[in-house]
Amino acid sequence: MHDALVSRSGYHKEIDQALGDDFLRRTLDTFAVAYRANRAAVFKEVDEKGLIKKVADAKDYACQHMEELYAKFKAEAEKRGVHVHRAKDAADANRIIAEIGKQNKVKRIVKSKSMTAEEIHLKTALEKEGFIVDETDLGEWIIQLRHEGPSHMVMPAIHLSRYQVADDFTKVTGEKQDTDIQRLVKVARVQLRRKFIAADMGVSGCNFAIAENGAVSTVTNEGNARMVTTVPRVHVVLAGLDKLITKIEEVLDAVQVLPRNATAQRLTSYFTLMCGAGQCNAEGSDNGRKIMHVVFLDNGRTQIAKDPLFKQIFRCVRCGACANVCPVFRLVGGHKMGYVYIGSIGLILTYFFHGHDRARILVQNCIGCESCANVCSGGIELPRLTREIRSRLNAEEGNPIEGTLMSAVMKNRKMFHSLMKFASFSTKPFAGGSGNARFMRHLPMAVLGKHGYKALPALAPKPFRDKWAEIMPRVQNPKLRVALFAGCAQDFIYPEELEAAVKVLAAKDVAVDFPMEQTCCGLPLEMMGQRKTSIDVANQNMNAFRGGNYDYIVTLCASCASHLKHGYAEILDGTTSMLQAQAFGAKVIDFSSFVHDVLGLKPEDFNKSDQKVTYHASCHLCRKLNVHDAPRELIADAAEYVPCEEEEVCCGFGGTYSAKFPEISAQILNKKLDHVQATGASRLVVDCPGCVMQLRGGAEKRGMHVKVDHIAELLAENIKK
Amino acid sequence: MTQQELVEAFSAKAQAVNAVVQEVPHMAAALQYVVDVCANKAPAEILADEPETQKGPLGPNKQPTRVQKIVAAPQLAEEDFAALAKLCEEKGFLCLRDNVRKYLAGIDVGVGLAELGVAASGTCLCNTDNEDVRLSGMISEISVLLLKKSAVYPDLPSIADKLRERMGYGEPTYSTFITGPSRTADIERVAAVGVHGPLELHIILLED
Repeated sequence: MHDALVSRSGYHKEIDQALGDDFLRRTLDTFAVAYRANRAAVFKEVDEKGLIKKVADAKDYACQHMEELYAKFKAEAEKRGVHVHRAKDAADANRIIAEIGKQNKVKRIVKSKSMTAEEIHLKTALEKEGFIVDETDLGEWIIQLRHEGPSHMVMPAIHLSRYQVADDFTKVTGEKQDTDIQRLVKVARVQLRRKFIAADMGVSGCNFAIAENGAVSTVTNEGNARMVTTVPRVHVVLAGLDKLITKIEEVLDAVQVLPRNATAQRLTSYFTLMCGAGQCNAEGSDNGRKIMHVVFLDNGRTQIAKDPLFKQIFRCVRCGACANVCPVFRLVGGHKMGYVYIGSIGLILTYFFHGHDRARILVQNCIGCESCANVCSGGIELPRLTREIRSRLNAEEGNPIEGTLMSAVMKNRKMFHSLMKFASFSTKPFAGGSGNARFMRHLPMAVLGKHGYKALPALAPKPFRDKWAEIMPRVQNPKLRVALFAGCAQDFIYPEELEAAVKVLAAKDVAVDFPMEQTCCGLPLEMMGQRKTSIDVANQNMNAFRGGNYDYIVTLCASCASHLKHGYAEILDGTTSMLQAQAFGAKVIDFSSFVHDVLGLKPEDFNKSDQKVTYHASCHLCRKLNVHDAPRELIADAAEYVPCEEEEVCCGFGGTYSAKFPEISAQILNKKLDHVQATGASRLVVDCPGCVMQLRGGAEKRGMHVKVDHIAELLAENIKK
Repeated sequence: MTQQELVEAFSAKAQAVNAVVQEVPHMAAALQYVVDVCANKAPAEILADEPETQKGPLGPNKQPTRVQKIVAAPQLAEEDFAALAKLCEEKGFLCLRDNVRKYLAGIDVGVGLAELGVAASGTCLCNTDNEDVRLSGMISEISVLLLKKSAVYPDLPSIADKLRERMGYGEPTYSTFITGPSRTADIERVAAVGVHGPLELHIILLED
């Protein structure tokens, strides 16, 4: 069990170690790519979004009726000879299970996999009470031999190589073991069979506890859970209260999602429904019946169920998909991307189950790319919840200095914008390059340290807002009236992207306005957990665009767009500004969708160039706004579109994330640039100035001959007048 | 989908997860299949102590093997079991109807009856309330399930009511959905078949 995550420097040291682990990197990389394709293939056969919605609804209902379902389950299970217990916390659960063991004169215990048992450190607790405890899931057994914790909720030993496993198995058997994986698996078969037979008690987890008939279920591949629940005379089931579910249909829906999401299987080898204390011919059984206990764990769950936002974490079915698609997990592995629970949900559950100390640094390690939310079995808004925890931690414990400073500046638009202009002036001596490729060229590496992986952009000599009066187009008989939302990066670093957009819009008879009172969208503040100021800023922006009677509010930044469109309504939920936020959000649209879907630009609107252009899909565009085709079709209209590998995987920017975890950001960027290079394209376009900053800076640092631009610039160059 | 199409879909999905699917005309042919499978396999390894059992040479996992092979078929109807026992006797196999717990170290073939099949995933639902039935599907090196073609359903939601009925009474039940042999990808994500359960799963499709 690692605990370096309570100190920032310790955590970064661990991350460096993980990044230096070539085996881990290669394994997770191969997995990430294969998983994506395999998952898509098995989901094609079912209605993915429909099933996810069903899981979410069923689990939401169960969460709101937890006590009622518990009472029903208890009555039904007891009718069928099962003893039902309720533990208020980890210590209580461990005590109850140890008591059951003692009452039944148990010496040896076999366990099948249970994340809830990991949550309460059950094995350690039982060993302290003198029981001999053996894990029987292959991965769990391996990490038990190594005294480690799981690094994935479904594949607990994914961080280990066959060589490490062979060494461990050599030690435990006292015989030299082959490194062939098929043989290693059989070592477990042979070694653990005796343990199943010798065990007096089996402890299993529980995927679903069905209230209508008091049944518990397990979903497994190896067959160890069947052995654990069948061979010993005593069976203890450990289940979080969140595992309660109303009826069979809901379980049947959920198991169509869970294995598909976990391991891209249609169904696992074994899915069992154990309904009551059944037949057991083991010596010492209860007259031919199993001695069966179900222990429900609260450990804060009844409190979480009352939280209007966080109650949705009970939709989690522990499939691990949030880790499978996470670009950070892919680099650093589960031991650095969670404590006991792994992946995005792990960051959140750590806060609730394992203390704010362990969560404080961990919750920073979400890049906010939304990949997890996009695949979650229960449709949990994972990155949003992570940001919410950051802001709760700040509210509980005071702001870190960076956040406080940022808030102080952002609260006051004039001060913020004056500072940006001053920064442009004062950094002039460091700036170099020409045209739109302006970089800070003269910063000493000592200043940059880990941040030196990309060339940093220089601020524009003149921000967009100061140019607006000169460039504002006069459109006769406009067909639409739109307002531009600039976002900080384009206003102060890349005003030419906005100028390009204005050119395209004006060419298609759209009247464009630029409300001067607009400021930062507030997403960086959210990422830093600065909720109060982020609300101030949201209100400022909504007021800036009020009264303009615009048809649309167009923004060229996918992150700003998703925050303006969805984020404002989330952070203002329950306030008097909520309706205003929804109305405001309804008008917000990203640039590509606007010109493609609303203006309906077609191939004939462009002088198609023969330039080879590839694309990077910004996270917030493809996952928060669900825009996929518009930019690709636009590129193909204006130039030769060359698709790129892993086009919809994050570039590693993540706003303030890249400043907090430059070592991770750099690695994600490198992978992305490798893919871009492989396309042979001479230009890369994106829908977000943050991605431009990251990718252009990285390409510059690597000396790549690829021009990185906003898509608006490509379109403006090739649009027919 | 017609019943025939459901059966075909079932077979394809089951084979995709390494199950062997075999159509046979009647029960006698199914029993013959069981005996043939047992005859053609290497004797089961004995994975734990069984003091009174005669032990043969070491198997692939360096464990002693059974001299007398074992077939367990606790779920078969009386006359079918008698027929199987006779075939086994001719081959010198031990044929069990109960007491499977005595042989937890491992048996050769376990025969079970699938209550129904699920086409969408190539899954068999087995009524494993009886401990001998459950064990024979778990500790056998080859698990053989007999499934009536008429009992193949399209997907999991379509069997919800059948399950509810099974689990609705006060009597305890243990329902097992089986999709392929036991497997793992816990080491380096490399797929491996045959962990704690059967190394092979054979599904025999029976005409009604």
